Amino acid sequence: MKKAKIKYALLCLLAVVVALVWVFPIFYMIISSFKAEADVVVPGFIFSPTLENYQTVLSDTFFQYLGNSVMITIGTVIVTVLLAVPAAYALVFTPLKDPNNVYFWFVSTTFLPAIAVIIPVYLIFQRIGLVDNPLALIILYCGAGVPLMIWLVTNFFKEVPMEIVEAAQLDGCNRWQAFWQIMIPLVRNGIFSAALLVFIITWNEFFFAVTITYTESATLPVYMSKYMTQQGYFWGKMCATGTLICIIPIILGFFTQKALVKGLTSGSVKG
Amino acid sequence: MNKANTKKKDHSTRVLLPAVIFVAAVTQIPFVVTIIFSFLKWNVKRPDLGIKFNGIKNFVDVLTAKNFYIVLKNTLIIIVVCLVLCTVLAILLGVLFNRKFPGGYFFRTLLVMPYFVMDSVVGIVWKTLLLNPSMGLNYYISKFFGFQPIDFFGKHSLATVVILIIWQWTPFFFLIIMAGLQNIPDDVIESAKIDGANGFRRLVSIDIPIIKKHIITAMTLGLINILKVFGLVYVTTQGGPGVSSANLPYLTYRTVFYDWSVGRAAAIAVVTVAITLFITQKFFKATNKDEE
Repeated sequence: MKKAKIKYALLCLLAVVVALVWVFPIFYMIISSFKAEADVVVPGFIFSPTLENYQTVLSDTFFQYLGNSVMITIGTVIVTVLLAVPAAYALVFTPLKDPNNVYFWFVSTTFLPAIAVIIPVYLIFQRIGLVDNPLALIILYCGAGVPLMIWLVTNFFKEVPMEIVEAAQLDGCNRWQAFWQIMIPLVRNGIFSAALLVFIITWNEFFFAVTITYTESATLPVYMSKYMTQQGYFWGKMCATGTLICIIPIILGFFTQKALVKGLTSGSVKG
Repeated sequence: MNKANTKKKDHSTRVLLPAVIFVAAVTQIPFVVTIIFSFLKWNVKRPDLGIKFNGIKNFVDVLTAKNFYIVLKNTLIIIVVCLVLCTVLAILLGVLFNRKFPGGYFFRTLLVMPYFVMDSVVGIVWKTLLLNPSMGLNYYISKFFGFQPIDFFGKHSLATVVILIIWQWTPFFFLIIMAGLQNIPDDVIESAKIDGANGFRRLVSIDIPIIKKHIITAMTLGLINILKVFGLVYVTTQGGPGVSSANLPYLTYRTVFYDWSVGRAAAIAVVTVAITLFITQKFFKATNKDEE
């Protein structure tokens, strides 16, 4: 018995070590962001921490990119929720001819690679002056966000017991009331987590951001990618920028994990 | 799927329609236009040449270029190697973490972190801090063991891209497979113990069949996303040296935004989409057949 216990403890320890090794690159970036430029290159964890990098990094340029990222991401999340949640509701609870086909059509659009649309989109946006305009990115990101949101939220709606819907109808609720007063509170957490996921994916998106913007409306991923060419070898500052950019999705990721798994697996796994 | 049993006429299509129209306008219509473009001879930077019909010449050009086949091979290598290794690693990690201990949940969530970090940060941190042969950890570790630093972004660029994708995506596979492992009913585990099945045998003959659907879900979503990988390549190797580490999305990007020949780029895009759909469909078929 004792032997089994030791084995169990060792396996737990191994799990902890593996987790720490796996995320080491992220830790190493965060630690390096507190090192003075002279110390960054030399590996080691003994150094006098400094906030110098962060003071330099928080410049007007950074705030301009941050502002773009925040505006574009929040705009995308709002429009996505407004378009996708009613659509998912209609797919599950209203008499449509072929709800499954429409649902799978939405899901299948997520398979389409971005390069399949970028050429005409770029030429059209250029003609109507939307290149390097935040609106362009919001439109494109909603095109990716709406299907994903419908995918997840439909699965959450499907878990609402039919009895509740019937009870609401017996009580004389119309669909609109049933939607707002009964459905939304029941799937609120699911919608919230799906919205967080759309937030994270939009915040991190790189392909459209790098192709459809130049300087005015570029987002943080683009800022980061230009870092090496524009700022040269200031690794401490690069790490500080990277840390600042990644903090938000990492924190949101902690909260959205469980619902993410539920939304992505419940449709296919139970199916 | 349709839960409504009271079939009365209402405004449900009106609620659904905005989303359908919007998604069609942003994804499907541009793709159809891309297909039309792929038959044109059109260079945006040379308006004097005009726009002409080019037949299937663009496709012939694309499919006879040597680079295309190198890139196609790269794409297939990336997909196969990453899917297999991400799945195997995620199952092993899942088994390792499927036990209760203090802080267990915390470390499990920690492990998922790389999935939420954006491509450009992942790429730059690995390219500089870790793998840079003259200043990164790569240099110090090689010096410590007394060998030459590994040339990750020159000689081994494709392998490096593969490693980074595996590092970033295994946590996502782990997240879904872990959920499956935790759903295995206790009595199944108990009876397995009584039967004396443990360790590797239990994993292969009991656990994996039970969580098969979770594994397939993880692989499907992984496949869709790894086929699209762009940012990591852009930031770390720029597809190089030459096209040795470029995948199809990156090659298309380069054709559009470097030489601005719309017709050719559209042809590559169409071919890429066709290959993407082909691979996805083959995968669906294989996994569905498996289930029956």
